Amino acid sequence: MKKDLMEILACPVCKGDLVLNIEKEDEKEVISGTLYCSVCNEYYPIEEGIPNMLPPDLRE
Amino acid sequence: MVTINYRNAAVKIAESVYEPAEDSFLLADAALEVCIDGMKVLEIGTGTGFVASVVQANRNIELTATEINPHAALCAKSNGVAVIRTDMFAGIIKERHFDIIIFNPPYLPTSDEEKVPGWLNYAFDGGKDGRKVIIRFIEEVSSHLKEEGTIVIMISSLTDIEEVKALMYRHGFKTRIIARTKCSFEELVVIEGKFS
Repeated sequence: MKKDLMEILACPVCKGDLVLNIEKEDEKEVISGTLYCSVCNEYYPIEEGIPNMLPPDLRE
Repeated sequence: MVTINYRNAAVKIAESVYEPAEDSFLLADAALEVCIDGMKVLEIGTGTGFVASVVQANRNIELTATEINPHAALCAKSNGVAVIRTDMFAGIIKERHFDIIIFNPPYLPTSDEEKVPGWLNYAFDGGKDGRKVIIRFIEEVSSHLKEEGTIVIMISSLTDIEEVKALMYRHGFKTRIIARTKCSFEELVVIEGKFS
């Protein structure tokens, strides 16, 4: 995902802001990492450049 | 892997993902009519990313898409679509950000016996009357749409076109059918809804 996607991402539970933590990126985008919601104390993974915003119980 | 070439886009098709059909082509053509350079566009349930790819290939727009099916999300990403894996609008800020929101919903009336196993069911299952997901979309969409923004949705005569138009009207949309085509047992239509 491109970093400017942060402008429109929100926690799916509380709709609050998220903190981006980058594990791997290239010149274009973030490939893996997490998005953290401090209100819900929940991490949403970024894998293969796709942020996974499903609540934890719906993830595979 | 199969690739579909259409209107300057080359779209790869993966397994366990809804394969672009008449409805996808009709919606892509209609979306191109509505999208203008510079707009912010969101596609809900992008599947392979076919519609998004066609619009991106022909317009200078800022496009984001959502998708719940993991196989489809990966497929759309490989087709160059900025995809978020989420249930409809769940992972997106509740701000009136988009000029256009496009949706090819699961619009087929589906009984319990007709459900498809696995993630692909999300592409077909419109509930008993075909409008279950459309109702949720219409209820949520305006909080993501700019004033005077437009929604573009694909439905079938099996979904009850007049009922969907009435639903949109009740939620503040002026409706207009902008594309239609007859298939074997149904008519497919694209409805434009202008928020006012």
